[in-house]
Amino acid sequence: MLKLENIEVVYDHVFLAIKGISLEVAEGGAVALLGSNGAGKSTTLKAISGLLAPERGEVTRGEVLFKGRDFKRLSAPERVRLGIVHVLEGRHVFGHLTPLENLIAATSMHRSRAKIDGLVEKVLTYFPRLKQRINAKAGYLSGGEQQMLAIGRALMTEPKLLMLDEPSLGLAPLLVEEIFEIIARVNRETRMSVLLVEQNATAALSIVEHAYLIENGRIVMSGSADTMRSNPDVQEFYLGGAGRVDYRNVKHYRRRKRWLA
Amino acid sequence: MDLFFELAELSISGALVGLMYTLIALGIVLVFKASGVANLAQGAMAMVGAYLTWACLTLAGAPLWVAIPLGVFAMFFVGRGIERVALRRMIGQPAIMVIMLTLGLEIMLRGLLPALFGPVKKRLDIGIDAAPIIIGPMLIDRAYLVSGAVALILIVLAVLYFNTRQGVMLRAVSDDQPASWSVGISVERAIGISWGLAGIAAAAGGVLWGSIQGVDWTLSLLLIKALAVAILGGLDSILGVLVAGLILGVLENVAPVYLERFGVSGTRDVVASLVILATVIFKPYGLFGREEIERV
Ligand SMILES: Nc1ncnc2c1ncn2[C@@H]1O[C@H](COP(=O)(O)OP(=O)(O)O)[C@@H](O)[C@H]1O
Ligand SMILES: [Mg+2]
Repeated sequence: MLKLENIEVVYDHVFLAIKGISLEVAEGGAVALLGSNGAGKSTTLKAISGLLAPERGEVTRGEVLFKGRDFKRLSAPERVRLGIVHVLEGRHVFGHLTPLENLIAATSMHRSRAKIDGLVEKVLTYFPRLKQRINAKAGYLSGGEQQMLAIGRALMTEPKLLMLDEPSLGLAPLLVEEIFEIIARVNRETRMSVLLVEQNATAALSIVEHAYLIENGRIVMSGSADTMRSNPDVQEFYLGGAGRVDYRNVKHYRRRKRWLA
Repeated sequence: MDLFFELAELSISGALVGLMYTLIALGIVLVFKASGVANLAQGAMAMVGAYLTWACLTLAGAPLWVAIPLGVFAMFFVGRGIERVALRRMIGQPAIMVIMLTLGLEIMLRGLLPALFGPVKKRLDIGIDAAPIIIGPMLIDRAYLVSGAVALILIVLAVLYFNTRQGVMLRAVSDDQPASWSVGISVERAIGISWGLAGIAAAAGGVLWGSIQGVDWTLSLLLIKALAVAILGGLDSILGVLVAGLILGVLENVAPVYLERFGVSGTRDVVASLVILATVIFKPYGLFGREEIERV
């Protein structure tokens, strides 16, 4: 359904952040994009959602296809209408709005009142925690609640492809599990595709079928979730837990991969 | 007359004018919140709205109930047009350029309209009885009363609007632009609408004030009052702008009368500028500046 073909992304007309990435997400599929800080994961998602423009970024090469159609020229809101939604890194809830208003703000593509009410109802059954804080200011919700709100808000657009940028960032493991379970459930129940960006590879690999590993703006490895999990390099550097990462080796690993590529 | 009633009378008419200031200031706040741009063309838009209404009424001979809505709503499109033609090209330019642009518009319109319609002050009669209302020992000007009431109604409508779906999206844009894009809100369109609504607020204020003092270029001096109110109110909440409008209106009406007794005269027009200066120096975020929500 979504297909990137050898895309390059340049920031400020000079900085080449993505150096030829190809990837694919099938209809109803769940795919993870793994990699360390600065690898180009967020940039890849922005290239898909159209949020590069406000940051003076541009796709300078390659094709961005959704259902076989190149949509590079469409604005971000038009892509949301196509069914592509992007939950930004760092949640970005509308802090001065209530959770309910946050959800309402994401309904510009819907016409009927009844439909919107139905969607709010559905999102609140996915995230019952939000119900208790529905009239608080969203800025005062906890990190986990804000993440749930950001995902719920994205679901209000009735996406065919949900892209999540590091939803586990800064959250306690139990919360991460809760959120990932809900994502997996929506993916299963509605056949909405998921493209999940994570540094937390363990959590991500538990809910996707396929994963790509990205380093330095390039895909350095890809395979089924099981293959990735059992790969010794992935195990060593991405599944070892943050405390055990040996940066000298990470650098070496990157050097080797670049050399191979 | 009893000192208390004198003060009350001055305060009441001041507060009524203050409501009109609030209405115009809402346009500045709205544009600032949506796009971070200081709309310094708001005074000129008030003047243009009053001229348009006068033209419909006098030149085209339209009845009041046609001329006023026509003049005021035409300003919705003038506001949107200004955004579309001038401001949208300025995206990414330094803030000072944008300020110069809106200020340039203000000055240009100040010259253009009187040139088009003639420099003589126009009478804009919106059919309000000239006889004052008598409350006990106090006289309240009927025009002020109507102006204050209409302004208050429009302010309440603005509050209601911000709770509609479109209003919520406008507030979302003022909160976080990338997040707005990411959930399908057209930020450009929202900013355009904020300019359109600013045009309506300005025109309504311009017509109300124009019916009291006549229509000429001096209507655009309402910019200073609206700016003072917006800055004092903290460029954020409608409540803040409302309170600030009342404060400025009352202060402007009361202070000169008492200062005159001490031999200080001509202070009326200085009050707004003093409010701007004092706010910027002592309370830069205004009385009700936005609390930044830090928690993540
Ligand atoms: N707005 C921007 N302008 C210039 N460079 C950027 C911008 N955003 C990201 N970059 C650069 O692009 C590279 C990839 O960043 P990013 O996609 O955010 O990585 P990740 O999400 O994997 O941590 C980094 O080197 C980063 O410094
Ligand atoms: Mg990132």
